Amino acid sequence: MEMEKKEMASTSSTPISIPEAFFLHLISALALALAFWIAHYIFSTHLISDPSLTLFLILVVQSPIVILLYSRYRTDRHQCSYFKAVARGLLGLPAGAIINAFGAIVLGAPIGAQYFLKTLNWSLVMSLFNIVPSACVFGSSWIDWQRLFAYTKPIGTIDHMICIPAHGAIIGAWFGAWPMPLDWERPWQEWPICVTYGAILGYSIAMAASLVLSHQRGLQHVKRD
Amino acid sequence: MRKWSLLWPFWAILAIHGVAILIFVKGFLLTRTELPYFSHCSDVSQSPCFTPDSFFHSNPSVPSPSYATNFSRCWTNPAVNRIIIIVFDALRFDFVAPSSFFEESKPWMDKLRVLHKMASERASSAKIFKAIADPPTTSLQRLKGITTGGLPTFIDVGNSFGAPAIIEDNLIHQLVQNGKRVVMMGDDTWMQLFPNHFQKAFPYPSFNVKDLHTVDNGCIEHLLPSLYEDDWDVLIAHFLGVDHAGHIFGVDSSPMFEKLEQYNTILEKVVDVLESQSETGGLHENTLLLVMGDHGQTLNGDHGGGSAEEVETSLFAMSFNKLSASIPSEFGTSSCQLDSQGREICTSSIQQLDFPVTLSALLGIPFPYGSIGRVNPELYALGAGSMKLDGTKVGSYLNQSGGWMQNYVNVLCVNSWQVKRYIDNYTASSVIGFSDEDLLHTRSLYDDAMESWSHIRKGLLSNDDGSDNIPSLKRQIDAYSNFLASVAELARSKWTEFNLKMMTLGFSLMLASLFVHFLAIKRISKLCSSSFANEDCGTTFELMLSCFLVAIRACSFLSNSFILEEGKATSFLLATSGIIMLRYSIAERKHFLKVVIFLLLMIYCRFTIEVGLLKQADTSAFLKVYPSWVLEIASLLPGWTYVTEAVPIIALILLVQLLLKNVSGSQSKGMWQFVVYGTIFCYILTGVHWALENDMLHFVPAVEGIGKNCLPRIIYAIGLGQLSLLLFRQLFGEDKPLNCRKTLVTKTVTMLAACSPTVIILAGKQGSLVALASVLGGYCIISMDNLRHGGDGNDRVLTVDSLPVTQWSLFAICLFFSSGHWCAFDGLRYAAAFIGFDEFVLVRQAVLLMIDTFGFSIILPIFGLPFIVANKYSSTQAAKVESSLFMGLSQAYLMYGLVTAVPVTATILCVILQRRHLMVWGLFAPKFVFDVVALILTDVCICLATLYYVPHLSS
Repeated sequence: MEMEKKEMASTSSTPISIPEAFFLHLISALALALAFWIAHYIFSTHLISDPSLTLFLILVVQSPIVILLYSRYRTDRHQCSYFKAVARGLLGLPAGAIINAFGAIVLGAPIGAQYFLKTLNWSLVMSLFNIVPSACVFGSSWIDWQRLFAYTKPIGTIDHMICIPAHGAIIGAWFGAWPMPLDWERPWQEWPICVTYGAILGYSIAMAASLVLSHQRGLQHVKRD
Repeated sequence: MRKWSLLWPFWAILAIHGVAILIFVKGFLLTRTELPYFSHCSDVSQSPCFTPDSFFHSNPSVPSPSYATNFSRCWTNPAVNRIIIIVFDALRFDFVAPSSFFEESKPWMDKLRVLHKMASERASSAKIFKAIADPPTTSLQRLKGITTGGLPTFIDVGNSFGAPAIIEDNLIHQLVQNGKRVVMMGDDTWMQLFPNHFQKAFPYPSFNVKDLHTVDNGCIEHLLPSLYEDDWDVLIAHFLGVDHAGHIFGVDSSPMFEKLEQYNTILEKVVDVLESQSETGGLHENTLLLVMGDHGQTLNGDHGGGSAEEVETSLFAMSFNKLSASIPSEFGTSSCQLDSQGREICTSSIQQLDFPVTLSALLGIPFPYGSIGRVNPELYALGAGSMKLDGTKVGSYLNQSGGWMQNYVNVLCVNSWQVKRYIDNYTASSVIGFSDEDLLHTRSLYDDAMESWSHIRKGLLSNDDGSDNIPSLKRQIDAYSNFLASVAELARSKWTEFNLKMMTLGFSLMLASLFVHFLAIKRISKLCSSSFANEDCGTTFELMLSCFLVAIRACSFLSNSFILEEGKATSFLLATSGIIMLRYSIAERKHFLKVVIFLLLMIYCRFTIEVGLLKQADTSAFLKVYPSWVLEIASLLPGWTYVTEAVPIIALILLVQLLLKNVSGSQSKGMWQFVVYGTIFCYILTGVHWALENDMLHFVPAVEGIGKNCLPRIIYAIGLGQLSLLLFRQLFGEDKPLNCRKTLVTKTVTMLAACSPTVIILAGKQGSLVALASVLGGYCIISMDNLRHGGDGNDRVLTVDSLPVTQWSLFAICLFFSSGHWCAFDGLRYAAAFIGFDEFVLVRQAVLLMIDTFGFSIILPIFGLPFIVANKYSSTQAAKVESSLFMGLSQAYLMYGLVTAVPVTATILCVILQRRHLMVWGLFAPKFVFDVVALILTDVCICLATLYYVPHLSS
C-alpha cells in the first residue's frame, strides 16, 4: 500500500482511497436523486412533463457538488489552487456543453426553437457528467485528457472515477436514443427524455463499475506487493 | 494467381443471390399477369348456355343463330337502367350496420341512420351487406378489384409505369363499350385508373391526407344536381373524408363522427330525390342506389393488410323499382336483428369479388374478362325484381320464384363459362399460370355442372309443367356456385396467400450465401497470408465495431418504425463511427480537421434526410408531421431563390476544379485525360441545362426547347461514348504495368468521371451538391482509414480493414436518402425518367429511373471503392504489391457485398415474420423490393467493377 501511494504521488498527485471514491460517487448519486425529488415535490414536475426544467434542476443541484468535490482531487496542486480548479470546472461546463450538443446534433438531435432550451440543458447536464470532472481535476493537461478520452487507459482510482462514468453516460445516452423512432407514441420518446434516462442509467452503472474496477486494481497491487 | 480465381466468387454470389431472391419472391410477391383480352357481346354465342331451346320463356320462334345479335339483350337481361354508386373510402362495416349487430355499441355506430331506416322499412328492395374485400386493402388495389372483378396483387405484371391506368378488361370499360354514359366525381384516383372513360368527371385531389373536406365538398356540389340530369347511366361519387379522418384522427374521434353525420345528411337528400322521381316514367323509375366502401380500416385508421377490420366493409343496395323478386331463402346469407328502435334489419354478406360481375349482370353488359366473381343472388335479386318477367307467359308453368331461379341459373351458366374461359386463357398466356392438378379439379366441377344443366334443360323442355323443376334448379345453382367458389379459392391461394415453404427456402439460401461470402473473404485472407507470410491480425476493435454497426442496422429492420426512419438511423450509425474516429484522431493528433469535416458533412446529411422525410410525410399518413420551420425560414429569406439557383452551379464549378486538378496532377495522359475532359464538358452542359430551366432568366422558347431535351441527350451520349472508350481500352489497350496502384487510381477516376454527369443530371439540381458531398465524404473516410495505421506503419497493409468499407456502405445508404429517395414506390422520382425525353419507352425510362434511384447509392460508391484499397498501398512498395493490391481489392469488394447482403437478409427475415402485419403492403413489401433490387444491382456492379479493375495477373 505504501508503494502504491508513493507511485500515485509521483504520477498524478492526489491520492484517493476507495471509501473516499465511494462517498464521492454516493454524493453525486444522492444529488441526482435530490434533484429529481425537488422536481417532483417542489415543482411538481418530472422529466417527461417538463424536461428542460428538470434538467435545469439537475444542473443546479449537481454542478456545485461535482465541481467542489472533484476540485479537491486536482492533479497539479502545487501550481493550482483550489479556487482555480473550481474556476476550471465552471469554464469546462459550457465548453463541454458545446461539444456534447455538437455530438448530439451530428447524431440527429432535432433542431428548432422549441428544442433549444431542451438541448441546452441536456448538453449542460451531459457536460457535468463527462467533461466537468476532468476539467476540475486535470485542467488543461492535454496528455491526461488524451489518456482518458482517446486511449481510455485510466491508471489510478481518480482516473477510473472520471473516465468510466463519463463513457458510461455517453454510451447510455447513445442507447437511450434508440427507442426514439418507434411508433409507440409515448411522451418519453421525445428528445431529450429517453436520452437523458439512458445517460443517467449509464452514468450510475458506470459509477458502480468504476468502484469495482478500482477496488480490483487495488487488490492486484496489493498482491503484487 | 489468375484473374478468374479472384473473380469467380463474385459471380457465384450473384448467382446464389439471384436464385434465392427468385424463390423467395415467388412465395411472397404474388404476381398476376394482366390479360389484354376483352369481353364482347357476341362472345356469348360460344358459350354452351345459349342454345335456342334454353330460351323457352322467350319466343321460341326466334331463329337461334341471329338471336345474339338481334336480341335486345347482350349476355343477360338488363334489370336496372341506372346505377348510382356512392363510394365512401374506408367505410367500416360497423359504420353501416346497426349497433345491435355488435357486442358493444360504440360512439361511431348508428350514424348513417337513413340506411337503417330504408333497410327496415323497405326490406324487399333495400339491403345492407357486409362486403368482404381481399387484401391488399389499399384504395388503388380495391378500386381495381371492384372494377375488374379480379384479385389485384401487389405487383400486377403489365402494370404501366408511373401511371396506374387499368389495362385489363373492367366494368367501366364495358359500360363505355356498351353505350352507357358514366359520370364520376370525387377521388382523382379514378382518373388515374380510367383516364378517358368518363362522360363527365369532377376529380378532386386525394393527395393531401390532412384535408378532410375538399373531395367531399366537391362531390356534394355535383352529386345532387346530377341526380336531376338524364345524361348519364352510371354515376360514381367517391368520398374520401372518412378515410382521411381515420388516418389523421382515428375512428373514435369527433371529426370522424362529424363526417359520418354529414354523410347521413347527404344520403337522406339523395334518397329523397330518388324517391321523388321513382314513379313510373320518372327519371329514376328503375334505378339502383349503391352505397359502399372500398375497404375497412382499423381503429387507428390504418388499412392495407388482411385483418378482419380492414377487409370488412359494407355495401348498401336499394332499388327504386316498386317490383321486387323474392328469392328462396337458402340462397341468402341474411341474419336479422332488431335495432335500437325495435325495427328488424337484415344484413347479408357478399364478397367484393362478386361486385363487378353482379353489376354487369344487372345492367346487361358483358362481364369483365378477368372477373372471377359469382353473380351474387341477393344483390342480383334486388334489381331482378324489375325484370319484365312476363306473368302471362311464364306464369303458365312457373311461379315467379321459379322464374327468377330459371333466370339466375342462366346467368350463372354464362358466369361459369366466362370464368372458365378466363382461367384457361390465363394459364395459357401468363408468365406463371395455374398448375394442372388445380385446373383438373375445377374443370371436372365445370364439366359436371354443364352436363347436368343440359339434362335439366332437356327435362324442362320435355316437361311443360315446370313446377317440379325447382329442386333440380336449386341443385344446378349449387353446382355452378361450387365451381365458382372453387375457382375463387384457387385464385385466392395463388394471388393472396403466401407460400411459406418457398419463402423459407429463399431465406435459407440467402443465409447460405452469407456463409459463402464469409468463406470467400477468409479464402482471400488466406491467399494473402500464404503468399506474403503475413499474420492474420485476428479480431480487432475495428472489426467488432463494423460487425456491431451492420448487426444493429440489420436488426433495426424488424420494426416498421425503423424502416420508416432508416435514413436517420443509418446516419446515426455512420456519425457514431465518425465520433469514434474522432477519438483516434485525438489519440494520433492527426487529421483532426478531416474528421470534423466528416462530422459536419453528417450534419448536412441528416438535414437533407429530414427534408426527404418531410416530402415522404406529405404522401404517407404514417409519419407525424415534422416541424417544417426549415422550409418556412427558407421561403422568408429574400435572396433565397437566387441562392437555390446558384448553389448547384457553384457545386458544379467545384467539381470541375477538382477534376482539373486531378488531370494536371497525374502523369497519365492520352485517353484518360480525354475522358476527363469529356466529363468537364458534360458538367458545363449540365450547368447550361439548369440555367435554361431557370424561370428568372428568360430565353427564347426555341433555345429552351433545345436545352430541355438535347442537352441531357448529349450528356447521355457522351457518357456512353466515354464508357465504350474505357471498355475498348480495357479490351484492346496495351497494359503497361508500370505502377499498378497509379493505374488503378486513374482507372477509378476516369470511370467515376464517365458515370457522374449522367447521375448528376438525373438527380436534378441537388445532384451536384450530393456529388460534392460524396466526394468529400469518400475523401474523409479514406483519410480516417489512414489514421489508424499511423502507428504500426505498413505492416498490416495486406488486409483491408472492414471499418472503412462499412463506413463507405453506410455513407452510400445515407446518400440514397439524402438525395430525396425513400423505400416506397412514391419515393421514386418519376420526373427523372423524363429528363431529356418526352415520350415514354418502357426500357429506356426504366433504365433512367434506375440510374436516378441507385446512381449515388450504388453505382458511384461501388466504382469508387478502389480508392480505399489504393490508399493503403503507398507507392514506395509498388514492386511487390501487384497481386496483393488486387487481392485487397477483391477482399474489399467481398466485404462491401457482405455489408450490403446482411441487412437485405434481415429484411427478408422481417418480411417472413411480419407477413401478416398491418403494413406489409404499405411498408415492408416496398422496402423488400427496393432492398432486393439494390442487392442484385450491387452484385452486378461489383462483378462488372472487378472485371474492369482487375487486370490479367501474372503469377
